[in-house]
Amino acid sequence: MTKIFGEGPNQVKALDDVSFSVEKGEFVIVVGSSGSGKSTLLNMIGLLDRPTKGKVFIDGIDTTKLNDGKISAFRNKKLGFIFQFSNLLNDLTVLENVLLPRQIGGTNGSAKKDALELLQAVGLEDQINKRTNKISGGQAQRAAIARGLVNRPSIVLADEPTGNLDSVTSMKIVQLMKTMAKKLNQTFIVVTHDRKDFSDVDRIITIIDGRAFEGEQPTELEMVA
Amino acid sequence: MEYRLRLAKRMLFNKKGSLIGAVLAVTIGILVIHVNFVIFQGLFDAIVRDISNYRNGDILITDEADYIDKSDLALANWFERIPYVQGATPRLSSTAEINMTKNGKLIEETRIPVVGVDPDRDVRTSTVHETVAEGTYVINRNSVVLGSNVARDLGDAQVGDNLKLLITDRWGEDQVRNFRVAGIVQSPGGQGLDYSVVMHIDSLRDMMSREGESSSFMVKLNDPTKAYEVKEFFLRAFPNDDFLAETIEESAEEQLAGFRSGIAMINMIGYFGMMSSAFAIVTIQMMLVNGKTREIGVMRSIGAKRKDILIIFLFQGMIIGAIGAGVGTAAGLGYTFYAKETKMSFNNSLPLEVSYDWAKITQTALTSFTLAIIASLYPSYRATKLLPVEAMRTV
Ligand SMILES: Nc1ncnc2c1ncn2[C@@H]1O[C@H](COP(=O)(O)OP(=O)(O)OP(=O)(O)O)[C@@H](O)[C@H]1O
Ligand SMILES: [Mg+2]
Repeated sequence: MTKIFGEGPNQVKALDDVSFSVEKGEFVIVVGSSGSGKSTLLNMIGLLDRPTKGKVFIDGIDTTKLNDGKISAFRNKKLGFIFQFSNLLNDLTVLENVLLPRQIGGTNGSAKKDALELLQAVGLEDQINKRTNKISGGQAQRAAIARGLVNRPSIVLADEPTGNLDSVTSMKIVQLMKTMAKKLNQTFIVVTHDRKDFSDVDRIITIIDGRAFEGEQPTELEMVA
Repeated sequence: MEYRLRLAKRMLFNKKGSLIGAVLAVTIGILVIHVNFVIFQGLFDAIVRDISNYRNGDILITDEADYIDKSDLALANWFERIPYVQGATPRLSSTAEINMTKNGKLIEETRIPVVGVDPDRDVRTSTVHETVAEGTYVINRNSVVLGSNVARDLGDAQVGDNLKLLITDRWGEDQVRNFRVAGIVQSPGGQGLDYSVVMHIDSLRDMMSREGESSSFMVKLNDPTKAYEVKEFFLRAFPNDDFLAETIEESAEEQLAGFRSGIAMINMIGYFGMMSSAFAIVTIQMMLVNGKTREIGVMRSIGAKRKDILIIFLFQGMIIGAIGAGVGTAAGLGYTFYAKETKMSFNNSLPLEVSYDWAKITQTALTSFTLAIIASLYPSYRATKLLPVEAMRTV
């Protein structure tokens, strides 16, 4: 797919004919320098934005054909998001944040039990009734992971989930994501600046100037360093 | 609780300033309408009340041709047999010239309205006798009661003073007689007979050479809601007498039509006030929406539909409307209660006739509630237009 922002002389080709597929259960990291198009790529996969050209298939479904309502339902059921700044809703408690995707999807059934299980798994069982602006950045990011997983999405998308954390906390968050991925057999696509945090992963995709390459690209690494 | 309602509530209550501002806007809108109602409707009703109490009763009977010549006794008895009727009394009106010598100085006043009353029947039908400020109410055939303004114009006439009354009779002859001042009447607000001279109806009939005649018959009911019924009954009972009958509502409709449209105008202004409250809500909610772009984006990204976002902000409109309507109505009722308890008067004289119009109170509350929701439509719609990515940008 291709994504072009703007028109005429000001237009920016953020993604240039990118094409790849990810298998179920794969843990993929996307690396690349600032402005290379990583977030744009993730937004396309996450159906937060539509490509200028090309298509995104999820579970074999051509998502470019879906209307807004269907896309919302799709995001809710099939996709989980974890952002750089945890992006929890400060108006809600930790538990309520984790429950939110369930409530939006109308699948309340065992929601509370599942949410509590996940919160325990990320080690937040004693923080569940706190407002999210009353917990630390690392805790918030863990809550965000729980929220991203509560609907058992097919794909979890994370845009620099550790970008805002110190290195020790980052390590823990990465470890947590890896554990959860394995435990629930979920696909993770994680954008990161800092490849070092992730040590061994199933696959690395490098973005250079809007183009995607398999594996680590030495030039990229030098630039990042 | 429904998650959208909970979010709406939390977002609103976590922004106390906006919440208070929006609620205040609704509250003030409602309060203005209540205050207007208390003052202007209260004034209107007070005037109607006084016209009824002092002049027209609940039904006023007149004759197509100037004077009623049916006997007082026949008419009054006919009316007083009806259980709804509290009293019925004849009145006769004319104008007089008054001469009075006060401290050796002659004071002359012309074109003073004179009202002839039947003292016995009048006290059961009208409340003029309750406005006596000095002396007593009528009256034997040689005394008069002066309206306070007339007394003042006569150089501060006192009870016990003597005066000369000149009235032109039906043949065009001037009739002059001496009277003693028995009392002075002064009504709160001056709507009573403050500008008239009150005398015994038989004395006035004498002077006017109108034996047994009356200008009008004033009928007071103990159940004013039966006025129309009694009036119709009366007109059917006397089909050949050329009587005219008018309920106080009908008289007020004619006499106070201008006032009524004035009230309608003031109500319009009240509703305009409500509209500007609505604009305040639009502004405040736009601010709320703009302050929540990130949250809206997050919700959209985890699957909230446009409809869900719309509902969240419409819920906010409802919460604002409900609280505003509640507080505004409570404040309005508080003001009404205060006005009633303190017997608030217009211009420090005319006591307002304060009433609780529950239909109107409910209507006002519902209107402002609805308006708050309508006001939140646009901000809510704008919120749904925020794209998930755009919203996520504003970190
Ligand atoms: N909405 C937009 N309008 C115009 N240009 C945009 C928009 N979003 C992104 N771009 C441009 O597209 C390019 C890729 O941006 P993107 O945010 O994907 O980079 P990134 O790899 O995520 O960078 P970073 O590591 O700094 O987050 C950049 O040149 C950016 O300026
Ligand atoms: Mg980025």
